[in-house]
Parts: sequence; structure tokens; C-alpha cells
Amino acid sequence: MLDVFIEFFKQFAADHPRWNFIFFYEPRQWARIVKGLQYTVWLSIACVFFSVIIGVVGAWLQNSPSVWLRRFVQGYIQFFRNTPPFVQLLFFYFALGQFTPAVTGPDGWTEIPIVSNVGWAIISLSLFAGAFNVEIFRAGIEAVPESTQEAASALGFSRLQTYKEVVLPLAFRVSLPALNNNLVNLVKTTTQAIAIAVPELLYQCVSIWNDYPSALYPTMLLLFVSFIALVGILVFGMHRWEKAMQIPGYGG
Amino acid sequence: MSLKKLTMTAIAATVFAGISSTAHAACTNDVWNKVMSRGKVVVGVKADYKPWGYRNTDGSIVGMEIDLAQAAADAMGVELETVAVQSSNRMQFLEQGKIDMMIATMSDRADRREIVGITQPNYYTSGTNVMAPKALGFKNWEDLSGKPVCGKQGAFYNEVVTERYGVEIVAFTGNAEAKQALRDKKCVAWVYDDSSIGSDLSSGEFDDFEMPLASEDDNPWGLAVPLAEKDCVFGHFMSGLTFNMHQSGQLIELEKKWGIKPTSYLADKNAAYGDWLADK
Amino acid sequence: MMFGKPPIPGVNSKPEQGFAVLKPFTATAAGAPESLLFSRWLASTPLWVWLVLLASIFLWPAVAYSASGYAMSDAFQALFRWIPFIVKGGFLFNIIISFLAMLIGTALGVVLGLMQISPNRFIRWPAQFTTQVFRNSPWLVLLFIVLLALPYELEFGDTIIRIPDWMKAVFGLSLPIMANIAEVVRGAIKSVANGQWEAAESLAYTRQQTLWQIILPQCFKRMIPPWMNWYAILTMATPLCSLLGVEELITLSRQAIEAENNRPELLVPFYGFALLIFFAYCYPIARATIALERRYAVKL
Repeated sequence: MLDVFIEFFKQFAADHPRWNFIFFYEPRQWARIVKGLQYTVWLSIACVFFSVIIGVVGAWLQNSPSVWLRRFVQGYIQFFRNTPPFVQLLFFYFALGQFTPAVTGPDGWTEIPIVSNVGWAIISLSLFAGAFNVEIFRAGIEAVPESTQEAASALGFSRLQTYKEVVLPLAFRVSLPALNNNLVNLVKTTTQAIAIAVPELLYQCVSIWNDYPSALYPTMLLLFVSFIALVGILVFGMHRWEKAMQIPGYGG
Repeated sequence: MSLKKLTMTAIAATVFAGISSTAHAACTNDVWNKVMSRGKVVVGVKADYKPWGYRNTDGSIVGMEIDLAQAAADAMGVELETVAVQSSNRMQFLEQGKIDMMIATMSDRADRREIVGITQPNYYTSGTNVMAPKALGFKNWEDLSGKPVCGKQGAFYNEVVTERYGVEIVAFTGNAEAKQALRDKKCVAWVYDDSSIGSDLSSGEFDDFEMPLASEDDNPWGLAVPLAEKDCVFGHFMSGLTFNMHQSGQLIELEKKWGIKPTSYLADKNAAYGDWLADK
Repeated sequence: MMFGKPPIPGVNSKPEQGFAVLKPFTATAAGAPESLLFSRWLASTPLWVWLVLLASIFLWPAVAYSASGYAMSDAFQALFRWIPFIVKGGFLFNIIISFLAMLIGTALGVVLGLMQISPNRFIRWPAQFTTQVFRNSPWLVLLFIVLLALPYELEFGDTIIRIPDWMKAVFGLSLPIMANIAEVVRGAIKSVANGQWEAAESLAYTRQQTLWQIILPQCFKRMIPPWMNWYAILTMATPLCSLLGVEELITLSRQAIEAENNRPELLVPFYGFALLIFFAYCYPIARATIALERRYAVKL
């Protein structure tokens, strides 16, 4: 069965010189694509996870009584929202990367940093999306009326308990559509990690078409389809989650 | 109608067969005549490959290949205009007529000869090599097996080196980033043209580094005229000019002027093309 | 759409947010959730944030790992030498690309947005499909596809039109803008009260007349703030073209760094300058956006 598949594409490449689907019949190129997909999916999942956590924590800190904590969160948000993520990635990897502790490699010269370029991509992109998430969650928190929070406080909830048990669940459900948008944006932004040589899907496709110019159109098609599929899966998942999180009796 | 034209043009333009006339067709010398009547030759050169072609603060491009282009323009009696090109678009620009000639550190390869008219003799050469720290003491290519090596995206030898020696290429979008990653010890070496590595080493800013391995895949560079003009006036003119510059030693002087490490290639060509009356 | 059963939120269609006990979710304006977030934040940036940013840019070279005696002052002198070149030949192109992409994207986006609300499903479905495809694709992938697949010249009979690289970048960037503007248009039209459509219908306006004479003039003001917001986002995205060799700010910065022998101390001043110049361009736009939004806020 697989052989038929492989033969078909080899024949197709011979008949149509501009449509060489080389990654379907050559194991090396296929391995590259698989590796690229793995990195993209891994990057997306990790960044989504961390950015949501950063959003929740940041929104909590924004209401803290300490002025300096509030200013710190403000500064963080302003920096990450007003600079292009492309340049943020470069900064993180080259500038901050110098300051991270590194373990000297076995050859006595290389320094294997504790944070690899994939690690920096995750950190940079999570912080980037997290900045937007803080605003989204803050708006969600503001949608919870003060009376509800006062009632909770009157019942003896501490600030943290109010946030965790009363405010956050409601705010989260309200923010879900906006969060959905932001996470879709994040998955699309992972392609920019190519700037620091993270071997994700776009990087692998660029390598393939540099080596085999006849595979240009097929790889572009693959890229297009893969990202539509990835985003589609994410949107589908978010819709299911929205439905599951709906409060019974509300939502029409 | 125009969509069909679009598709047809796209297919025709990107097919690797020569669209223009074969070597047996009559020479019309269109580009040559255009250059002569305009009084200006537009040459595509690199703007990010020091010292073959790089920018000046006033925005002009200078370098060894620009001097070569200037020599050609002087011999033709026309003015020189330089246009910055990149590896990804240099052949396209020549094909579409945006530039009249291209001298852009292009390796002379069989498939490229079918698209643009690469003239002989070649004017320079380079092989693949690495810049590695002296501390690591690499002696053979096999020493790099399994180690992370920085490179530039799009270079054809990235794949070659990976297949042959099993190195792990970490390809960056630009040389600045790749060299920075090397300095930051994120990889054990930087793979690139030995001529560029040589010039970096002789600039004195990479004193802790060396170029220890034997150059592989020594591949001469070719300058190109439009394919249709290769066996006509323009192509023959550039061939002759290159030959004369080898013979007179002008290329060796240019190499020295721009601080490029002297190569045996130019010295050999200078000897091979020697004028039998020169020392008599 | 409006000539069938009108949707009344909370009665026969989904309520605006579904939670009667909560106040409105106000991170949005005129439709899509992300429509103004960027401009809002850019405009409300307090000055001290930028002073901190500047300070960190100056501080970094002082502690930079340096293999030679190249000092921070040398790095900045190098930057100042190159600024005229990279601004005139580089940033100018970023602005041109963003203008043209916005122009083309808006023109196409308005058409696509109107198609999305058509009662004819054979117009609506392809329009919705196109919008979703281009909204959900990464901009970088679209750029790669357009720049590499688009032919470098078009033949129309005898005339040959050459398409330079930056023009292809304009086309590539106008595609996601088109999809996003379509969403803005659709959201703005939806935000006009149903009563307007019904009143127009009762006054015997045709659908076309209602749209062009009654609804769209009201939408125009609502669309301006998110439209300007997308322009700021687009401008921030133009450096992506540098990955494809288009001559703009980042490409020329790289060439300048190469001409200065690729010293690592140069990376932060040059890229920091890129950030600053983008900010200097986008910040006034963001402030103007917020001011316009306040002025044109819909009073219901």
C-alpha cells in the first residue's frame, strides 16, 4: 500500500517537473517534515500553556496593592506589546542568551546553555502572548461586578480565595472568545522562530526547497495546508472547551 | 485571458530549460546594444558579503567584485550602476533584464549554466570550510560528526556536509547571527566559503579562531551575462576581460587591495595564462 | 440576513456574552476582540516605560561579551554613521509597503466584507471561506508563498510589467489585511441596530439602497479605529519581508552590520534602533486612533 503511494509520487514528480513531492517518497525529506511538524506542535502547545498561566498570574498581580508590582506588570506588558515578536526573539536569544548559565560541554569549549534556542523561542513567544492575555483576563475580571467580590469578602474569603474560587471562573468564561483569537495568533507567530534557527515546519520547508528547487510548490502547499489544519484543530478544541465551560442556563 | 497568461508566464519563467535562443541562433546582441546606446551598464552585485560586495555609509556598494565591474564598464566606455542582489534573486534579475550582468559570488554549476550565461574563464574560486575555535583543535571533517555547526540558510553545502559527515546544521537567516552564535559558543564551528572565512580571520577580530580543515568541494565562481548573449559580443567580451585580468595580475592586485587572503587559484591562473613574451 | 427573522440577543439568538450577572466585557470596540487592543496599549504607554527601554538598550553593550577592545561608544558611533542610509533606503520602504498593502487590502477587504453578508449563499460561502483561510494563515507563510510563486513579470499583450520584490511583498501582506478588514466591516455592519434595517424595509428601500445609503455611512466612523489599529499591526509586520530579501530596514541593518565586520556589539544598537523607529512611527498613530475612537464612540 505504501509502495503504491511512493511510486505514484515518484511518477508524478517525473511527469510534472515543478511539482516534485519529494518529501513523500524520500525518507530523509520525510523525516525533516515530521521533525518540523513535531517542533511546531510542541512549540504551539508549550507556548499556549505558558502564556495562559502568565495571563492568569499577570491579571492577578495587576490588582495587587503593591504599587511596584503593578508597575512591573505594566512595564512588562508595554514592552511586549509594542515591539515586533520577530525582534523580541532575536533579542532573547542573542542578548539574554549570553547571561544564562551554561554547562561546559565534553569538549571543554562549547557551552551548552541551559536554555536552548527552542527554549528561548518558547520563553519569548509565551511572554509575547502572555502580555495580550493579561489584558484579556483583566477585562474579564472587570466584568465581574464588585458586589460579587464584596459578597465573597463578606463571607470571609481572602483576596486569593476570592480570585481563585469566584472571580477567575467567571472571568475565564467571559474571556474565552478573545483568548481563542489570541491563541490562534500565537500558533501563527511560532513560524517566526525561524529567525533563531528553531527547526520548525517553515525552517524545514525552506531547507527542502533550497536543496530541491523543484519541490518549491509542493512544500508551500504543505505549509499552507498544515497551518490551516493546526489552526483548525485549535479552534475546534477551543469551541468544545467553550461549550463545556458554559454555565447551564446561560448562553442561549 | 490574463489569468491564463499569468499561469503560462509563471510556468515558462520557472522552468529550467533555456527560454531564449540556443547557441546556434543568430546573435542579436540586444543587451549589449542597449548598454551601449544608454551609456550605462547595470551590474548586480552582493551588498552583504564583505569584502566582495558590501555597503558604504553613503549607501553605495563597494568591494572586489564592484572593482571588477568597474573595469568592465571602463573598457566598454560606459558608466557603472550597481544593484544589490541576493542569492535567491540574482539569476531571476538577470533573466528578467533588471540587470545587464551579474558578478555576485555565484558558484559556477551545471544547472545554473542553463539559466544564465556564465562566461569562462572563472574569476575566483572557493570551497567549503569551517571557522572553528583553536581551543577545540579539529583536524578532520569527521571530528564534527554529531556536533552543532552554525550556517546560513540557503547555502547548498549545508545538506552536503550533513549527508557526508553527519553534522547537525543550525542555519540562521544571516551571517551576523551565525557568527554571533559561534562567539556565544552555541555551536562548535561555522561552515561557509573558505574565502569569506579567510577574510574574516585576517581582519584580526577572530584571533581565537582558525580554519583548520581541508577545503571541500572547491567550486569556482562565475560571472554571468544573459544567456542569449553568452556566445555573442557581451559574453566574449567578458571572457576576454577576465582572461586579461588573470594574465596581467590585476585580479591578484584586487585581492590584495581588499585584504583577501591570497589564493593559489589566482596565482596558478596567472602562471597558466602567462604571456610568452612577458619576460623577454 | 436582516430581511428574515431578526436576531434578538437573549431571546431567539445567543446573548452577547451569555451571563446576565456580569457587566459587559469591555476589551473590545466595534466588533472583533482584538480590534483595538494594540492601539490602546501603544497609546497609553507611559513615558517611563520607554525610558527604561532606552536605558536597557544603552546598558547592554556595556556588559556585552567582547572579544576585542571594541567599546560601546564605537558601536553607537557605527550606528549613527549608518542611520541616514538605513532610514532613507530602508524604513522608507517599510512605510511605502505598509501604505500600499493597506490600500489594496482595504479595497479588497471592503468588497469581501460586503460579500460575507450577502443573502446569496453562493457569494457568502466562498467569501467566508476566503476570509477564514487568510485570517488563519501565518503572515510569514503567505509572504513566502506570494514572493516565490508570483511571476516576476506579467505580460499583457505587448506590454510587459515587471513586479519588483517589494511590490510582491505588498501583495503578500495585503492578503491577511484583506481578510481582517473584511471582518471589521462585517462586525461594523452587524453592530448597527436591526431597527435601521426594518425601518428602511418599511420605507421600501431595496437592500442595496439600505446598505449604501443608510447602514454604511454609519459604519464608516466605527470602522476607522480598528482600521488604524490594523495599519499599526501591519507596519510592525513589515520586517518579516527581510527574510525574503526585500530591501527594507532590517535587510539594510544586516548589510550595515556586515560592512562593520559583524561585531556582536552592533546587534543591540542596530536592532534597538529598529524598535525605536517603529515605535516613533506607530505611537502617534495609536494616539490618534484612541482619540478618534473617543470622538466617534457610538452613543446609544
